Amino acid sequence: MRTMKMNTTFSKSRLLLVPVLVMLFAATVYASAPGITGTTFNLTARDAFISQPDGASVYSWGYGCSSAPSGFNPPATLMPGATCPTMQVPGPTLIVMEGQTVTVNLTNNLPTSAGNTSILFPGFNVTATGGVVGLLTHEALPCPTPTACTTNTVSYTFVASSPGTRAYYSGTQGDLQVEMGLYGAIIVVPTAVPTGCTAVGSIPAHYVAPGNSAEADYRLAASAYDNPRSCYDREYLFQFSEMDPGIHKNALAQVTARTGCAATSPTCHLDVPTEPYHPAYFMINGRSMPDDMDPNYAREYPHQPYNGNPHMHPGEQVLLRIIGQGRWQHPFHEHGNHVRILGRDGNLILSSTTAGEVNLAGPLLFTTTTTPGLAMDGIFYWTGKGLNWDPYGHNPASSDSTAKLPCTPDANGYNTAATTALNYYEWCQDHNKPLEAAPFGDVAGGGPATLPDPNILANGAWFGGSPYLGPNATVRAVGPTGTTPPSGTIANSPTGEAGFAFMWHSHNEREITTNNIFPGGMLMMMLVDSREFQIDESN
Amino acid sequence: MKKLYQAVLFVLLCCLTPLVANAQSFRVQCPTSTITHPNAANNNSEPAYTAPTNVNGAIKCQQISGGDGYSTMGDGTQTYMFSFGPLSGLSKIANGQPGTDFPSEFNVPSPSALLPGAPATMATPSSGTSVPIGFGYNGAVGLTADLDAIADGKCVAPCLDGHVDPRPIIDVGVLNGNIPAPLFAIDEDDEFFLTLTNVGMIMRPDLFEQHTVHFHGYPNASTFYDGVPDASVAINIGGSFTYYYLAPDAGTYFWHCHITPPEHLQMGMVGQIYVRPRQDRVALGGDLYASLQQQELDNRTKCDSTQDILCSNPLPAINTAATAASTVVNGGHSGGYAYNDGDGSTYYDVEYPIQIHGFDPSFHFVGMTFNPEQFADMKDKYFLLNGRSYPDTVTTGPLATQSADGKMHFSQPLPSIINIPAGKKALLRISDLDVTEYQTLASLGIPMTVIGYNAKLLRDQAGNNLYYNTNSITLAGGESLDVILDATDTTRYPSGSVFYLYTPNLDHLSNDAENFGGLMTEVRIN
Repeated sequence: MRTMKMNTTFSKSRLLLVPVLVMLFAATVYASAPGITGTTFNLTARDAFISQPDGASVYSWGYGCSSAPSGFNPPATLMPGATCPTMQVPGPTLIVMEGQTVTVNLTNNLPTSAGNTSILFPGFNVTATGGVVGLLTHEALPCPTPTACTTNTVSYTFVASSPGTRAYYSGTQGDLQVEMGLYGAIIVVPTAVPTGCTAVGSIPAHYVAPGNSAEADYRLAASAYDNPRSCYDREYLFQFSEMDPGIHKNALAQVTARTGCAATSPTCHLDVPTEPYHPAYFMINGRSMPDDMDPNYAREYPHQPYNGNPHMHPGEQVLLRIIGQGRWQHPFHEHGNHVRILGRDGNLILSSTTAGEVNLAGPLLFTTTTTPGLAMDGIFYWTGKGLNWDPYGHNPASSDSTAKLPCTPDANGYNTAATTALNYYEWCQDHNKPLEAAPFGDVAGGGPATLPDPNILANGAWFGGSPYLGPNATVRAVGPTGTTPPSGTIANSPTGEAGFAFMWHSHNEREITTNNIFPGGMLMMMLVDSREFQIDESN
Repeated sequence: MKKLYQAVLFVLLCCLTPLVANAQSFRVQCPTSTITHPNAANNNSEPAYTAPTNVNGAIKCQQISGGDGYSTMGDGTQTYMFSFGPLSGLSKIANGQPGTDFPSEFNVPSPSALLPGAPATMATPSSGTSVPIGFGYNGAVGLTADLDAIADGKCVAPCLDGHVDPRPIIDVGVLNGNIPAPLFAIDEDDEFFLTLTNVGMIMRPDLFEQHTVHFHGYPNASTFYDGVPDASVAINIGGSFTYYYLAPDAGTYFWHCHITPPEHLQMGMVGQIYVRPRQDRVALGGDLYASLQQQELDNRTKCDSTQDILCSNPLPAINTAATAASTVVNGGHSGGYAYNDGDGSTYYDVEYPIQIHGFDPSFHFVGMTFNPEQFADMKDKYFLLNGRSYPDTVTTGPLATQSADGKMHFSQPLPSIINIPAGKKALLRISDLDVTEYQTLASLGIPMTVIGYNAKLLRDQAGNNLYYNTNSITLAGGESLDVILDATDTTRYPSGSVFYLYTPNLDHLSNDAENFGGLMTEVRIN
């Protein structure tokens, strides 16, 4: 009943509870697509407990690094604290270059009773050696004492033949092992920079707004594929999975009961039923909301290093790498705009097979269904085009020079000539168009809409404080505390960020719960930030 | 300096606030003109689209209640809902039409007092159907002259400036929930003013829930009007909030409340909205390809695949020289196009919005009482097309349900019968707001041609149409697609024949304990 109370309390006493909830994730932290680099990866499979926001520690299995990886991307200089523990969920994101020969060595350090394990790399032509031959691939025999059995390692070798995002996961007793957490992502990045894309490290000038130092470049590559339409400015990786805590409890009980058993003993195996299936945890990158919006490599999640906390500026092309893990489909709904699907499982979708074809043929989706084992790459952006009012609340009659910035349309109608302008990529047709019928604060009247009395509204924790984007417009419109004093806008302050927050979540809405607690589960807030606000993806 | 400025501004704002705070709580908004549509005389019908001169279109308005109500399931069970109901366009909604009004229809006070349960309690059903006769009111419920403003000399009679009398709003709005929620239909370039009036949930006095409207799938949405309470504002009981959008790109969208979504969506706060394309407004006989070329001349309406990765209707690869069809009447919509295709390939004669949903009776029982809810084991037992299960899907007219106030209410106004005139094409605008699982809808007989997906034309960047034929489609909650049922072959699909749309998820062909019903309806060739 504890779980349920949370729901009623949240929806019915929002203003009271929200500040408490938001304390948990008020630090400004952002995602990217962090992982480990190299051509040879020494991985292990182990057990550990992962943390869920209802306070549960869930017994899980995961891949991790058995020795330090040859590198991290983003490197530790950009993302301090980057680490690859010996067990993590999802497993380490493997970042490799197109055309390279990749070797993954896997040692099985799961409890002996868990049996063999393995990794499948669908989409690659894999040569497996060592271990024993299993049903789908070579499997590593259990080796609960890592130093004792170095010969049990199994090796998978393949050529990273084409760019894109793909899933990897256990090929042994998948109904149990994938449920327990044995899955991860592999990203193949293009070696060449397509025409028109900006090479990594050559930070576009427009990342720098007045008063801000340059935003570091956290991209893994200049483009998602060897295609000039797949250039991007930022990227985020989201892996969707679910857990049935009953299965995990049962596995723990049986593993514990068989502690120390010899692999040769006929009773040294698990008999954990995986049906009927009643998942209660719905996770993005191994974490449930709000934990998913905490930093990458946060200390409080030693076995769940990756987060889900996307930020972007207007007009930026943002690459979404989306993977379905686990066993269910999840309709992942991106508020704010559509996503152009570039490719699936590393297969770019083009309008013809003619050499040199650049036209994309993937669909435009506002709900990107994640399917077990399937990876998608897609591009999203937000500009505010077509709102028919100026989201910056520009006011030509203001005494504030920032309120009177010019908007000079390029060939597509956006303000792109002044690359360091605060309103870079503003949609110029709506420049200076008022929203509100009556003038309010330092925004002009004459618009179509009358906003309601703030006293009959409830504010959300991520409400920026006004209908407008950025601190300058918000403070001009409603003052430094936002619309309703006392401000409820803790996670997105009117004077600090005042971004546009969009909920990105599973639209099987019961999955935005954590073990029956709302809110939770597969939910994160994406923020479109004015260039007044410096996005720092460092952790 | 900046800090001082902010402090001064803050003081100024504190002075300003009381001016705003005296506004009444319930109110509606439907300006007869705006800076975008300055000439009031032109805003009560859709103008022809000829060239990219400024924003074309008109003004559209609608009012809905957020509250609760009851509906009738296929096995006769009366089910409690959290729900939206109509507070404008009552006659249109009762007749299965979009309740969206032009200002000239919206800004009309009711000629007579509206009774609780209206229009179900004020209509005389004709024989054979329950379509209301003798109730034709479509204006904004509660709208009345602003006598104070007139007395103060701020407004001239009749002074219908959005001021409302809350009494009829409560009379009509309480326990008047619909499943699906009131249908919206707008045209590209329209300005849409949607007023959500929160009348409270009278059966759950322990709750003081806000409600919102999330326009699901709107491209380049604003967070303020996105309806996510965490990222914006939400209206309390006793207040009205008017959502404002310039109509986005044509397509089949849908909408729902975004407060505690697993609860409010399961409980029934789901609705449909579609946006009709400029191509519907091309004059009879006009060249569709040339018309799309005109749209390419305005940055707001163009689709240049080399510049914009998120547009789906570049000029078609093949110019079919199609012309605007005779049945496409400007604003009349006896037929039309689903998208700005430039080649006429999305033409239809009749259109039907179809929303897939599911109700878990256990959850609804808990929702009617004061007990804790569980989400993880939510299990739908009623499978709904436009809020009805078979055989109610093929009942004509609105379904009425007696609510806890003892009054009849039109709880499920939309039948799901697909009537296609012989030799014609039907557009099915299918959306899904199920909150628990994927559902499949199959067509027996007439193949489905999928022409749009997630409110976008299926066309690649080179202009090739990517339509495909199938006999089933599968959607999750939060998805939509557009299907054309082509019955132009009168040999295969003669007048009088009946085909079925049904789910091959065979356990969904049930109404709770009844093993025959569920997600099924008929396609009738007339």
